Amino acid sequence: MKTTLTTCPWCGTGCNFYLFTDERGQLSGVEPAAGHPVSRGQLCLKGWNAHAFVAHPERLTVPLYRRQGELVPCDWNSALDLLHERLSAIAERHGPDSLMFLASAKASNEENFLLMKLARAGFGTNNIDHCARLCHSSTVFGLAETLGSGAMTNSLDCFEQTDLVLVIGSNTTEQHPLIGSRILQAKQRGADLIVIDSRTIRLARHADLHLRPRNGTDVALLCGIMRQILADGLEDRDFIAARCENFAAFETSLRDCTPERVAAITGEPEEQLVAAARRFARAEKAMIVFAMGITQHSHGVDNVRALSNLALLTGNLGRPGTGINPLRGQNNVQGACDMGALPDVYSGYQKVSDPAVRKKFAAAWGVDLPEQPGLMATHAMEAAAEGRIRGMLIMGENPLLSEANQGLIRQALQKLEFLAVIDIFPTETAQLADLVLPAACYAERDGSYTSTERRVQRGRKAIEPPGEARADWQILRALLGRCGLQADDTGPEQTMMEISTLTPSYAGISYPRLEGAGLQWPCPEAEHPGTPILHVENCSRGKARFSPVTYRPSAEVPDTDYPFLLNTGRTGVHWHTGSMTRRSHLLDREEREPYVEIHPQDAARHQLKERQPLQISSRRGSIEALARITDRVPAGQLFIPFHFVEGAANALTNNALDPESGIPEFKVCAVRLQPC
Amino acid sequence: MLKQLAEKDLLRLLERIATRRRLLTPQRQSDGSRLLLPWPGGLPELVGTPLQRKPTEIFFPQLELLMELDNSGDVRLPVPADKPVALLGLDHFDLAAIAFLDRFFLSRPTDDAYLRRRHDALLVGLSGLAGPQGATLPPAETCDLELILVPDKLLARPHAKLGEELLAGFTAADPTALRAIDRSPAERPATLLAAARLLQEDQVPEAFWEEIAARCIACGGCNFACPTCNCFGVQDRTFGNRTERSRLWDSCQLDAFMREAGGHNPLGTETLRTRRRVYHKLVADPLRWGELGCVACGRCDRACPTGIGMLALCEDLVRR
Repeated sequence: MKTTLTTCPWCGTGCNFYLFTDERGQLSGVEPAAGHPVSRGQLCLKGWNAHAFVAHPERLTVPLYRRQGELVPCDWNSALDLLHERLSAIAERHGPDSLMFLASAKASNEENFLLMKLARAGFGTNNIDHCARLCHSSTVFGLAETLGSGAMTNSLDCFEQTDLVLVIGSNTTEQHPLIGSRILQAKQRGADLIVIDSRTIRLARHADLHLRPRNGTDVALLCGIMRQILADGLEDRDFIAARCENFAAFETSLRDCTPERVAAITGEPEEQLVAAARRFARAEKAMIVFAMGITQHSHGVDNVRALSNLALLTGNLGRPGTGINPLRGQNNVQGACDMGALPDVYSGYQKVSDPAVRKKFAAAWGVDLPEQPGLMATHAMEAAAEGRIRGMLIMGENPLLSEANQGLIRQALQKLEFLAVIDIFPTETAQLADLVLPAACYAERDGSYTSTERRVQRGRKAIEPPGEARADWQILRALLGRCGLQADDTGPEQTMMEISTLTPSYAGISYPRLEGAGLQWPCPEAEHPGTPILHVENCSRGKARFSPVTYRPSAEVPDTDYPFLLNTGRTGVHWHTGSMTRRSHLLDREEREPYVEIHPQDAARHQLKERQPLQISSRRGSIEALARITDRVPAGQLFIPFHFVEGAANALTNNALDPESGIPEFKVCAVRLQPC
Repeated sequence: MLKQLAEKDLLRLLERIATRRRLLTPQRQSDGSRLLLPWPGGLPELVGTPLQRKPTEIFFPQLELLMELDNSGDVRLPVPADKPVALLGLDHFDLAAIAFLDRFFLSRPTDDAYLRRRHDALLVGLSGLAGPQGATLPPAETCDLELILVPDKLLARPHAKLGEELLAGFTAADPTALRAIDRSPAERPATLLAAARLLQEDQVPEAFWEEIAARCIACGGCNFACPTCNCFGVQDRTFGNRTERSRLWDSCQLDAFMREAGGHNPLGTETLRTRRRVYHKLVADPLRWGELGCVACGRCDRACPTGIGMLALCEDLVRR
């Protein structure tokens, strides 16, 4: 029996727990770390069950390649040779930019760095991206423009110091439960809570104000709130004068956002808007918390800009208990971005287009590096469907269920000349692959992960991987070697040294320093204590920038043919495409079937009963799901979680993309329903 | 007879225990948690915060193989460990919880999986000045032998024959040494008893449960951390020709805990589930066992992210 302290593999909160290993060398349980500053002896249901999927019989244990239509076992050397040869051949024939690499927010910092290096230095393309494209690419783009850094500005401890929390587009108690609990605790001790969400999420039941704008109208609502703040003279003039630029243009841009007009667009009564504006602006310290409800729109970047404007207008930046706080969804989605698993930046958001940066990385790696930024994951899928991307390596992602418009994604993946997938389970995407490599899961490998509050922490190996499965970093090192790059079998600790050498915000980070509670970046020097709060004296870009925005409707709104608005997301018990949670007994038992939330009025109008099978159709596809009649959703809206392959919400969703961030519009499309 | 153990005596005692048993002792981890782990030699971390992981986990693990079946119909039970276990450093609460689970699992029909781990296990209690920051722990007597920390001394007292045998040969202690510390027996907190009474008299309005339940985020932590919770689920996993049947900790705070196949759920709202958690411990258990199902160890309060663990909830209830 032994215990291993490690970082939770689920959301981006960054909890730590002990994994218990039994006498058979298998995981037997989880215990929260009492002294860790984030978990503090507590976990959510998924955390308490994080051991449960690891020994599932469907774990991939040997490399598989496709022969005469079937996936059959092969040895590692042949598999790695095949992968290298096929990708190289495609690159030679059609150019390196005919390849696409998808990194993983479930892999470690080191593994994302190595895949980024493999794509750029090994195969000569910047075509690398990962699922941040689907979740917070709007944040990274929007906040980089207004503040100079796309990360959560403050720390989780700030919930203990704030006077008001504004939660918009985040079902925090289900998706970041330990952060949601801090918001509930803040409310208990007397802080104000404003929730803006079309659904009556748990936090809404505790809120002083709950605003329920129509999905896709956040820009109008936020501009209305900001106009009201200015009309009441509640803006922070000193902060604006000292710390911000472009205020005049911003102020002008709000002129038309009158309460009447905003109420008409959002469906939210004028009094609510005015009350929210006054309550928010009067708080001495207010935190803005947001997630997918803001980012996953064809105007996701504008939503983020509007939130940034709101924080600047009221001076809620750079102090404890304030800030613009995007909650990152995966345990290492922050890290995968930090490591440059993005098409336009190297690690630490150093731009590919900057010759000095390219020169630095080229010198370190001993190769010439491509100059053109690469393709975003969503654009790469379109390119694959059109035959412009021909080879793809996917590490630990399942785009067939997670990306919008499944029909297009299936077409794209099937059209590829060569698809290789590294994963722990035979996911729906892996089943389309020409080569499948079995990976170690989080409990079977060392590495580091960066949480939503920029806290870099250790993950530690507790047990051996099953069969011949290998850690992603071992697989990637072997591939780097085949590309003629340094490929010694050194582990993640050495990779972190390479990362810190090349990445200013991680320069002071090393494994010995990560013992304990980790370090929050920026951590520019070996003695630097880390940075709990960003933009304290100045913003990363110098002055904070007001960025005027104008409301644009969603790409596809309900009409007579498709009269319902479809909203998609997750439940509290399942993780994304369900590959792990649907193989965890308690979590699977809790939600076993695809369902659709429908308002009682709509159910009555269509004469529907609870659990009745329904067919839901959009212009892109059709699925079946069981009716769940609830006033959590407003009338006219349906909500479907995207975990279930047998009722895949993303067969319906619209791949209308934000023009700047490339994020799909997961939160709004038009559907109709009929009983099965 | 009360004994006195110098450091070298304690080490000798541990060695003596470890010759016949797999000795688990409290060990401090890097985050400050104390966990029961295989004795690595040397002196154990007796003093400090309560054991983070409930020690009943040793006899009733979170995930436990019950049997293996193969396609030919053969059934294999897990082989018991070659040595019985010894748990050292159990405070009064831990021992009360083990006694509670013993009664539940070892009442007929006996639970053989529990018995396999529990059989012949040695329990070493801990009391005296071993609490956090030297706070006094109440007597811990439902064990084989008890270690008692008094100022400048470690005492040991046997409570069973096995304990006597293990302490044979060590120096006798002056019984008055015990007078240096408070030896009042542990009592359950008054608020817990008062809350139990209100519940038993059915004086708690529905609105109270609704309000508490609204704060529950259904993490299950109260159940997973509770040393007397004993609900489990069963899973079968097939690996080729072989099927493993295991059991795992369940939680009555989950919607599917009582949900029937057709969708009907006798505990279908979070309000009902929250009430059940507390009723079970404070009303149903006393009816069945003559004793509250809560030993007041505080683990659920520490594990609850929203402050509605048993003791916090009872305080709230009584105050109103």
